Amino acid sequence: MTGTSPIGMAVPAPRPGSADRIRAFASRYAILLFLAAVVVAGGLAAPGFLSGSNLTNMLMQFVPLGIVVIGQTFVILVRGLDLSVASVMATAAVAATAFGGVNADAPAVFATAIGIGAAVGLVNGLLVTKRNVSPFLATLATMIVLQGIRFAWTQGAPSGNVPPIFRTIGAGTFNGIPYNVLFLLVVAAAGAAALHLSGFGRRLYITGGNPLTAHLVGIRAARVTLAAYVVSGVLAAIAGLVLAGFVGVVDNFVGRGFELDSIVAAVVGGVALSGGKGTIAGALTGAAILVAISNLVVMLGLPVQAQIILKGIVIIVAASFYVARRR
Amino acid sequence: MLSLQGISKGFPGVKALTDVSLDVAAGEIHALVGENGAGKSTLTRVIAGVFQPDAGTVRFDGRETVWKGPGDAKRHGVHVIYQEFVLFPHLSVAENIFVGHERRNRLGLIDHGRTRRDAKELLARFGIDIDPEALVRDLSVADQQMVEIAKALVHDVKLLILDEPTAVISGREVDVLFDRLRRLKQQGVAIVYISHRLEEIFALCDRVSVLKDGNHVATRTIDEVTRDQLIALMVGRNLAELFPVRRSAKAPGPVVVAARNVEVSGRVRGASIELRAGEITGLAGMVGAGRSELALAMFGAIPMRSGSLVVDGREVSGLSPRRAIDLGIGLVTEDRKGQGLAMLLDVAANVSASTLNEFGRGWRFDRAREKRVAEQEIASYRIACRGPSTPVSVMSGGNQQKVLVARWARTSTRLLILDEPTRGVDVGAKTEIYRIMHELADRGVAVLMISSELPEIVGMSERVVVMREGVVTGELSKSEISEEAVVELATRRLAG
Repeated sequence: MTGTSPIGMAVPAPRPGSADRIRAFASRYAILLFLAAVVVAGGLAAPGFLSGSNLTNMLMQFVPLGIVVIGQTFVILVRGLDLSVASVMATAAVAATAFGGVNADAPAVFATAIGIGAAVGLVNGLLVTKRNVSPFLATLATMIVLQGIRFAWTQGAPSGNVPPIFRTIGAGTFNGIPYNVLFLLVVAAAGAAALHLSGFGRRLYITGGNPLTAHLVGIRAARVTLAAYVVSGVLAAIAGLVLAGFVGVVDNFVGRGFELDSIVAAVVGGVALSGGKGTIAGALTGAAILVAISNLVVMLGLPVQAQIILKGIVIIVAASFYVARRR
Repeated sequence: MLSLQGISKGFPGVKALTDVSLDVAAGEIHALVGENGAGKSTLTRVIAGVFQPDAGTVRFDGRETVWKGPGDAKRHGVHVIYQEFVLFPHLSVAENIFVGHERRNRLGLIDHGRTRRDAKELLARFGIDIDPEALVRDLSVADQQMVEIAKALVHDVKLLILDEPTAVISGREVDVLFDRLRRLKQQGVAIVYISHRLEEIFALCDRVSVLKDGNHVATRTIDEVTRDQLIALMVGRNLAELFPVRRSAKAPGPVVVAARNVEVSGRVRGASIELRAGEITGLAGMVGAGRSELALAMFGAIPMRSGSLVVDGREVSGLSPRRAIDLGIGLVTEDRKGQGLAMLLDVAANVSASTLNEFGRGWRFDRAREKRVAEQEIASYRIACRGPSTPVSVMSGGNQQKVLVARWARTSTRLLILDEPTRGVDVGAKTEIYRIMHELADRGVAVLMISSELPEIVGMSERVVVMREGVVTGELSKSEISEEAVVELATRRLAG
C-alpha cells in the first residue's frame, strides 16, 4: 500500500513485518493451504484416503471436472457462466457411441464432439453478446434444447460402444500415471498460456474487469466474450469424451451435475463471478478440493447426503473468505 | 426561517465551506449560485442534516438546531429535491407520494382508497395537475419532478431546497415549475433555488447568494444586481500560480481533426469543433452541456446520430475506438475508475491496454517489452509506484490519473482529448498533467481539454470553445479568454 502526502508524492509503505508477510502469503495461497488441510485431515481420518489406488482414483475423477472448470473459468472471467456444459458433455459422449465403436472412428468422433461443443458455445456467446440475454438464461436454454435433441437422437437410450482408444485415454495408465491426467495437464497448460501469456488472455481480463474500459481501449469485447463461450463449449465436449472413456458406458446424463460443480469449483478457487479475476491454477485447486471432499465422505463411510451438505459448506466458507479478503 | 451563522465544513484535505453565514426568510425564493465546487452541494447537505458542520450554528424556525440526520431535518420541514429523483417508476403517483407514510386501514394494510383521495387533495391544494392514479414511469420528467416535490408537501414543509431543478426539464415545463414554486412561496414556504442559469434566477428569485471556493461572497436582492456583476462575483479571484507557462508555444499548425455537425441523441445537437496541431483547446461549459458526449462520439465510443469526423481533411468512415486509436486519437475519460482504468490490473497492463497488438498478435504477448515500456512511462511521468506490476487499485488518485494519461499520451499522435483530467487529483499531479499536455502540444499533437474548472480553462487553453445544451455557443481566441467571457457563453440563453 502506498499513501499520499499533501503534495502528491507517494509515501512508501512501511516494510512489511514478518507477521504481515506470513499473512500475505497465507492469503495468497489460502486455497492451496485449504486443499493441503483437506488432504492431511483426510489422511488422518480415513486410512485408505492417501493410498496409491485411492489417489489414482481421485485423480481420474478430477480430470473431467478439471477440463470443464478450465472452460468455465474463461466464461466466468468475462462475467458470464455456462450452465450448458453438462449437456454438452453428455451429447459429446453420445456422439462417441454413434459411430462404429472402433478406433478408426476416433477422428470422426473427436471432430463431431468438438463441433457440437463449439456450436453450442457459439450460440451461447451470440445470445449473450448480440442479444444481451443474461448468461444464466442463454446457457440454461441451450442446455435444455440440447437435451431435447439428444433424447430425440438416442430415442431415450443410447446404445453402441465408445472406440477403445477413448477407453484407454479415459481409464488407462502409463507407468502408473493415468493417461487422462497427462491429458488434463496439456489442456491446463494450454488454457493457462492462453489466459496468462497471450494477448487474448489480456483482452479477456480487461473485458471481464470492466467491459466499458475494454470498449474504450479499442477491444472488441463482444468477440472476446464470444470466444470464451466457444472455449467452454469445446472443453466441455472434450471432457464428455474423457468421462465416457472413463466410465465406459454412455447414458443421456453423462456429466450430470458438472454445470454447478464446475462453477462452484471455479468460485472456490478464487475466480470472481463479478469477472476479471481468477486463474486456471486457482480454479483447478478448487476442483481438487471438491473431488477430495466428495471422496473423503465415501471413504469415511458417511451417507452420500453428507457430500452435498459439505459441498454447500465449502461454498459458504470460500465465498465469505473472498469477500473478507477484498476489504 | 433559516439562519446560518459561521458554518464551516472540511473533508480530509479540502476545506469545503469556510465561515458561511446566510439567511433565508419564509415566503422567499433565495438563489444560491457559484461555480462547480464552490460549496453549494455541501451547504445544501449541511442545511438538510446530511453533514454536521465542523463549526457554526444552524437556526431553523427561530431555534438553534443540530440535525441528528436527514430524517430529523425532514421531520422539521426541511426538504431537498435532488437532481436524481427517488421515485418508483412502477408505482402510481399517489403511492409514490406516500412512500414511507403509507395510508393504512385498521388492519394495518394499505388503504388504497385513502391513498388516492389524500393524494388528489394534496395535488389540488398546490395546483398540481397530475392524475394520482397514473404510473410514475408514464409521466414526463417535469411531472415526475412535481411528484418529487409533492412528496415533500405531504409533510409540513417549511424550507424547500431545489438542486438544479431545470437541468432535466426545458421550455414550457420550466414556466410551469416556476408557477408552482411561486404558489408555494405565497403559502409561506422558504425556497432555496440552486441553478447555473442566471436568467432563471432573475426571473424567479427574490435574493441571490454567491458562494466561491467555499466562502460566502455576497447576498444581494435581485433588483440591485446585474447579470455581469453576478458573474464577476462568482468568478473573481486571484489566479493561483498553478499553471505552468508554455514556453515554446508556436503558432498552431493546420487543423488535424475536426468534428462536423455532430449529433448524439439527446445530448449533442449539431456541434462542430476544429482542432489544430500543437494547440491546446479548452472545451468549457456547464455540467451536462454535452461536452463529454461530443468527445465520446469523436472517439467512436458512442454512436453519432449524424455528423462526421474529419481527420487530415478526410472524413473517417466506420468510426470506433479501435479506429480512433489507429488514427492517433486518444481519450482520457472523465471517470477514471469507472471507465478509464482496468482497476483489477497493474500499471503495465493499464499502460499497454490501448495498443495490445503492439506487443504481439495471436498467441504471443511480449510481457518483457510491456514491462520496459511501463518502466519508461513511470519514469517520464514520475508515477509513484513500486514498479510496473503495482496494481493500480492501491495507488493514489493522482498517480492513477497519470497512468491513464500515460496510456493515451503514448498513442495519441494526432489528438488527445482529456475529459476533466485533474478532477480529484492533488496539486502535484495536476501540475504534472499540465506539463504532459504542454509536451504533447510541443510535439505537434492537438490537445482538447474538457474542464468545468474555470481557472483551469483560462490557465491552460490557447483557444476556448464553449458549449451549452448540446450546441457550441462560441469560441474565444487567446486574447479574449477570461472567466467572465466563458461564463457568459456557458450560460447564454439560447435562441428558440
